Amino acid sequence: MVLTVWVVIRDNRHTRRAVLGATAASLGAATLAGCGIFGNGPDQPSAPDPLQRVLDEAVALAAAYDRAAVNQPELAQRLTPLAADHRAHITELARVIGTSAPSAPAPASSAAATGDAVATLKSLRAAEQAAQKTANTACRQAPAARAALVGSIAACRATHAEALR
Amino acid sequence: MNEQLSAALAAEEAAIYAYGLIGVRLSGEGDRTEARTAEQVHRDRRDALVSRLAQLNASTAPAPAAYELPFAVTDRASALKLAIHVEDGVAAAWRAVLPVTENADRATALSALTDAAVRATRWRRLAKVTPMTLPFPGHP
Repeated sequence: MVLTVWVVIRDNRHTRRAVLGATAASLGAATLAGCGIFGNGPDQPSAPDPLQRVLDEAVALAAAYDRAAVNQPELAQRLTPLAADHRAHITELARVIGTSAPSAPAPASSAAATGDAVATLKSLRAAEQAAQKTANTACRQAPAARAALVGSIAACRATHAEALR
Repeated sequence: MNEQLSAALAAEEAAIYAYGLIGVRLSGEGDRTEARTAEQVHRDRRDALVSRLAQLNASTAPAPAAYELPFAVTDRASALKLAIHVEDGVAAAWRAVLPVTENADRATALSALTDAAVRATRWRRLAKVTPMTLPFPGHP
């Protein structure tokens, strides 16, 4: 009730009905939460954020581009801007999820990977297309506040697949 | 939702108008095929939006007969630049639909945003603009 009174005093632009409706809704929520009807008590581990997988993919893709650019310097100019896009996604996703942005490992030149630029581009392209599907699904299921961000990330992944053609 | 869908309709109509100007300034079959395909895609999206808005009983303003262009289109370079500009604008209009829709309407908006973003990337490649991609297509 303290919150309700505070809301009424603070925000006199709302109609009485809206405030009363909000009060009823918040009382209902408080009551249900208090009863633990839905079993969301502190004992249960919280499920990972629905965007965690989108974030993990962005980290993996940024690292894959870094590796490819080190192993095949002739591709670096083409791949570096795409890696930068993924880094921008990592920053925003970490912010929205409320986690710290994971730092990708420094790209190590692997002795095995050499030469075949065509194969590298093909495998990066497949990875982008798979990641686009994940982001598409996440966008469709996202709450309104996240829909535009995840939609842009899905679209960006599609543009990467196109840029790698 | 109606407001955002109407804005998407206005963006699609502007794109159709722009592609009429772009087409005549492009050179080469590759360019022209790309422009024709793009124009048809925007016409299809426009028609789908008109139906959806009618279903929602939303009134729609008639498309303007002409538009003020952001810059003069006089040659291939400025035509490609306008194509990029138009697709970026369409992407922005559809991105704004995402938060105000769910289910099928949101899927349509996502597909249109993605398509415009990919098309903008293709135009950037033809225009040799780098980088070819934007981190957040449709973000203002």
